[in-house]
Amino acid sequence: MSDLVIQILAASMLLATPLLLAAIGELVVEKSGVINLGVEGMMLIGGLAGFIGLYQLQSSTCTMLIGENCFASENSVNQFQYIGSLLVAAIVGAMAAALFGFLTQYFRANHIAAGLGLTVLGAGLSNSLGGNFFGVDYTSAIVASVPPLFPESWGDVPVVGPLLFSQNLLVPFSFVMLAAVWFFLNRTRAGLVVRAVGENHHSAYALGYPVILVRMLTIMFGGAMAGLAGAFIVIAQIAPKWTEGITVGKGWLALALILFSTWRPGRVLLGAYLFGIVLALEPRLKAIFSNMSLELSYFLTALPYIVPVVVLVMISRNPVMIRRNAPASLGQTFEPRS
Amino acid sequence: MIRIVPRTQFGFWATAFPLLLAFSITVVVGFLVMVAMSEQPLSDTWTLLTFPWQARTASVQWGFVLQKSSYLAIMAVGLSIGFRANVWNIGAEGQFAFGSIAAFAAYLLFGMPDTTWFLPVMLLFGILGGIAWALIPAALRVWANTNELLTSLMLVYVAANVLNYVTTGPWKGDPKAGQAESDPIHESLRIASIIERTDFHWGVIISAGAILVLAFVVLFTTFGYSLRVAQNTPRAQKFAGFSPQMTVWMSFALSGATAGLAGAIFLSAETGKLIQSENYLNGLGFTAIVIAFLGRLHPIGIVAAALLISYVNVGATYVQSASQVDDAVADLVQVTALFAVLGTAFLSQYRIVFGKADLSTEGAV
Repeated sequence: MSDLVIQILAASMLLATPLLLAAIGELVVEKSGVINLGVEGMMLIGGLAGFIGLYQLQSSTCTMLIGENCFASENSVNQFQYIGSLLVAAIVGAMAAALFGFLTQYFRANHIAAGLGLTVLGAGLSNSLGGNFFGVDYTSAIVASVPPLFPESWGDVPVVGPLLFSQNLLVPFSFVMLAAVWFFLNRTRAGLVVRAVGENHHSAYALGYPVILVRMLTIMFGGAMAGLAGAFIVIAQIAPKWTEGITVGKGWLALALILFSTWRPGRVLLGAYLFGIVLALEPRLKAIFSNMSLELSYFLTALPYIVPVVVLVMISRNPVMIRRNAPASLGQTFEPRS
Repeated sequence: MIRIVPRTQFGFWATAFPLLLAFSITVVVGFLVMVAMSEQPLSDTWTLLTFPWQARTASVQWGFVLQKSSYLAIMAVGLSIGFRANVWNIGAEGQFAFGSIAAFAAYLLFGMPDTTWFLPVMLLFGILGGIAWALIPAALRVWANTNELLTSLMLVYVAANVLNYVTTGPWKGDPKAGQAESDPIHESLRIASIIERTDFHWGVIISAGAILVLAFVVLFTTFGYSLRVAQNTPRAQKFAGFSPQMTVWMSFALSGATAGLAGAIFLSAETGKLIQSENYLNGLGFTAIVIAFLGRLHPIGIVAAALLISYVNVGATYVQSASQVDDAVADLVQVTALFAVLGTAFLSQYRIVFGKADLSTEGAV
């Protein structure tokens, strides 16, 4: 029984990490007064870019290349190649976000429309490039798995083994980033500027802060984090594999997390792991109660999308909480008064 | 020195210039995409632009364009009503699915009648199904202050699961079919083509009629006026006699109704049966959001945008079969158009001035 609990916890860590990464990025974006609904699209583009990066890095150093795929089984992906692919994902995610930033900050486009457009762009572009990018069909490309951060034998240690030692690099990274973002927003001068820009962009502008530059930077940070989240889903969550629309709404779950957290980093962590546990429970409950009714089975499949709705309803019923923490300029287009 | 100054006069060019600019950007970028993706960009672009005349029968290709654009236009007009008032229903895909499910449920409920006279009842149930599904996020917004944008989107995934459930469970048809699907509806309930062997069917006419009704409501009634006011000044809307709650209810009801109608027409005209979600829902509800913005939330603009985008879409499919250019070209053109329209929209409020500031001619800012 305790085995099962640990198994579910380990799985929920894997499922919560991309949500946490994307939500941390979006938290900073929203704190600066911008709402970017393109998280899902940036995750898809970044995820595909990371996968392509990993594939290219791997085949450039492969010792046993058959056709276009690498068949060297011994540690054919090392941590450096993995980090390289993550960098690619982060940079491409940030570039996609910069497109959104230019539209909303310099061309004063509606945040919601531009964000939805970014999601459409991400889905369309990743579908077409994933099927054919410079002659390689990435839907059938094979890449070896990423080894865990610590030696594999450490994973056999009871309890802490599966929970800590067999995790992927990005899992501890997500915790570090969460702490860093909390520290940045609440304890540094630059974080104060970001929050000032988000609360009242006219006052911040009058004080001499470069509102548009600050927002461009936060938007690109959000894009980089969404790119990492996408790369994690594509590369590290199971085995590296690219399929169309692989994120299935995780970007939107990350956006729901921000509302759930009422813009506080600690509750982002709580929410991400709550959703992670729900996502991890679904296949396991189905496996245990294999003779459950069809109704229940489909209800469980839909549960990861029903739970956020229920949670949002519970959170939103207290409008004071949201009003107290929501950045006052959220989603408003900034027009400098001359 | 380039500066952006607010417009003081709003003439014809305030509307036309941004749209023309956006159109030009789309054409240029679209051609660059073609150069990147095709080996003979010039001839392929020509094929894409003139495909109905290149194909064996032009009427078939025009049928595709009209059929696709009718679904997009009807849903986009419905969505634009809410978007005008900052009510964000982005779950039209789910309401579309529920329209289909409700229409099929009506068919079963009334004992599978084999007469064309039953078709209006099916369409009516489709509309009601779409409304019912759309009112969930509306109710959560009004009663629990919940962000309707996220809840309406989450419900798309739930609706897809409901569709999967009914096609694998209670309404499962032929078990030997390669996909989970229901039994087909009677042939008499299938919407007929107006022109033989084309997809130009009576559903297109029904959609066009519904668009006219909605356009009239939006443009010429007090209710439509109050929605347009709500976009910029929510307080002024109260003076017109409508509460913000009412706006949410009506926006969701109307957009749900149009999506449900589209779903019911789709069931009757295209598939004739319910199919598991992956093979039934093809993103029309999401594309409709793009169309609504492309048309600048105006019914005439939306119809024009739906026709143009459908034309490019069908053309890209044709080019793909004719010369192996990935039909993702259409997606890229669509997104380019969207970003171009969004990025130039501010030019209808502002104008670009070259040279030094001259406050005497520009007025106080």
